[in-house]
Amino acid sequence: MLQTSNYSLVLSLQFLLLSYDLFVNSFSELLRMAPVIQLVLFIIQDIAILFNIIIIFLMFFNTFVFQAGLVNLLFHKFKGTIILTAVYFALSISLHVWVMNLRWKNSNRFVWTDGLQTLFVFQRLAAVFYCYFYKRTAVRLGDPRFYHDSLWLRKEFTQVQR
Amino acid sequence: MRAESGLRLEALPRPPRALPPVPSANQGDIPLSRPKRKKPKTKNTPGSASLEGLVQASVRRPSEGSEPPTKESTEHPEEAPVQRRQKKTRLPLELETSLTQKKTSSSSLLRNENGIDVEPAEEAVIQKPRRKTKKTQPAELQYANELGVEDEDIITDEQRGPEQQSIFTAPTGISQPVGKVFVEKSRRFQAADRSELIKTTENIEVSMDVKLSWTTRDVALWVHRAFRMIGLFSHGFLAGCAVWNIVFIYILAGDQLSNLSNLLQQYKTLAYPFQSLLYLLLALSTISTFDRIDFAKTSVAIRNFLALDPTALASFLYFTALILSLSQQMTSDRIHLYTPSSVNGSLWAAGVEEQVLQPWIVVNLVVALLVGLSWLFLSYTPGMDLSEELMFSSDVEEYPEKDKGLKASS
Repeated sequence: MLQTSNYSLVLSLQFLLLSYDLFVNSFSELLRMAPVIQLVLFIIQDIAILFNIIIIFLMFFNTFVFQAGLVNLLFHKFKGTIILTAVYFALSISLHVWVMNLRWKNSNRFVWTDGLQTLFVFQRLAAVFYCYFYKRTAVRLGDPRFYHDSLWLRKEFTQVQR
Repeated sequence: MRAESGLRLEALPRPPRALPPVPSANQGDIPLSRPKRKKPKTKNTPGSASLEGLVQASVRRPSEGSEPPTKESTEHPEEAPVQRRQKKTRLPLELETSLTQKKTSSSSLLRNENGIDVEPAEEAVIQKPRRKTKKTQPAELQYANELGVEDEDIITDEQRGPEQQSIFTAPTGISQPVGKVFVEKSRRFQAADRSELIKTTENIEVSMDVKLSWTTRDVALWVHRAFRMIGLFSHGFLAGCAVWNIVFIYILAGDQLSNLSNLLQQYKTLAYPFQSLLYLLLALSTISTFDRIDFAKTSVAIRNFLALDPTALASFLYFTALILSLSQQMTSDRIHLYTPSSVNGSLWAAGVEEQVLQPWIVVNLVVALLVGLSWLFLSYTPGMDLSEELMFSSDVEEYPEKDKGLKASS
């Protein structure tokens, strides 16, 4: 059974990482006095996403649903989050690599091309979706129903089987 | 390890006490050292005998409820009926709960086993009065708790004759409440004072009650509501910022956008920070409205949108504003890096200003309108939150059934 204190701790960590992600997405363009600053910010951001992925999977493993072997049910319920997080992670890394590659010599150079602009828009939009779905999943995993056998779980399982 | 615990047990004060449950692994150890189960008891010194007896008795305890006599009989089918009777009378002895009694019983067993011809019935008669006197010693009625002793747990009636005890009845011994409880700590049982333990468990129960009132669902709900508050703030702040921004731009640009170079010079330090702030607030507002319409449940969200629900419309408008705002990132950076066209390597060639700035101003105006409109829509139904209803309400559906069941049972 999930302890309230543990859950609060994990939830705060997740929200901290999400807030950092949102902060970097918003203000990384401003913090480009030196290319190294942006590089460090981007690296930490990608690690934060990775950490969030690890944490959400650890939370999945901790549920009764998973331990009972109903991985399919869990995947069915949270597939949006899993897919979006993976997509966002890929988009983030590619944008970071591209931007850092262009700005490494001179951080105050005008580097924008149509391709970069498109990738930028998609990455930032994915960030919003990621944030929404991740937050929703983290909050939903606080539901005690995921941590013990119940009528609800059996109903859900039969629904997924259909 | 067992010897240590035995020593500790020995060092305990005299009053009779309960036998600690011993892991079943011990069961295998004891017979290994000795060929027959009963004999070693006779060979041990009183101290070790008490320990071994303690272990053996407790080992046997789990099975005694079911069928120990039959087990005994199957183990030694060839034994004479006299010996069988002897065992029958001895079984209650093994259930002795006090160490002192254990010593006496083991010593009596010693005599019993060494001199095989000793009459078992006689011994039982001798032992009974002694037990009766012990039984009356501690009347611990102050433990009115789960850890305390209930009257029905104390078996006092031992007056049955040996002939009354049939093979198939579960053996019963006499037992007394004691002041010690054996608590398993780091894989060994340690004696703890019962009354102290009662106090500590009461404390734990009190703290558990406090914690129980604050479940993980409550934490989740609290976080969800806190985020909704942040969202509510960002809606208003965003609307205000966007309106202020567009007004500021139009004032700097002058009549009919005649003074664009002035706008660029004044606004270039502000353009990128505002773009960043706009993204932050738009992201927060979009997530918040997605929460409100429970965007993850697509069917519900689309239905609400088609029904022209104000919140669904607001989320759509926010999302559109977000895309529009992001599409101006390149122009914002261009404004941020503005240098007059006379400067070498300038991004702003002469005459290109209006061409670049006009769409940017229009997009900003549209964003401001969308954001302002969303804010109006949201303020129409500020309390709407489908996520909270759908995510946390399905539990409520379960509970009425339970409540009904409870009512029916009561």
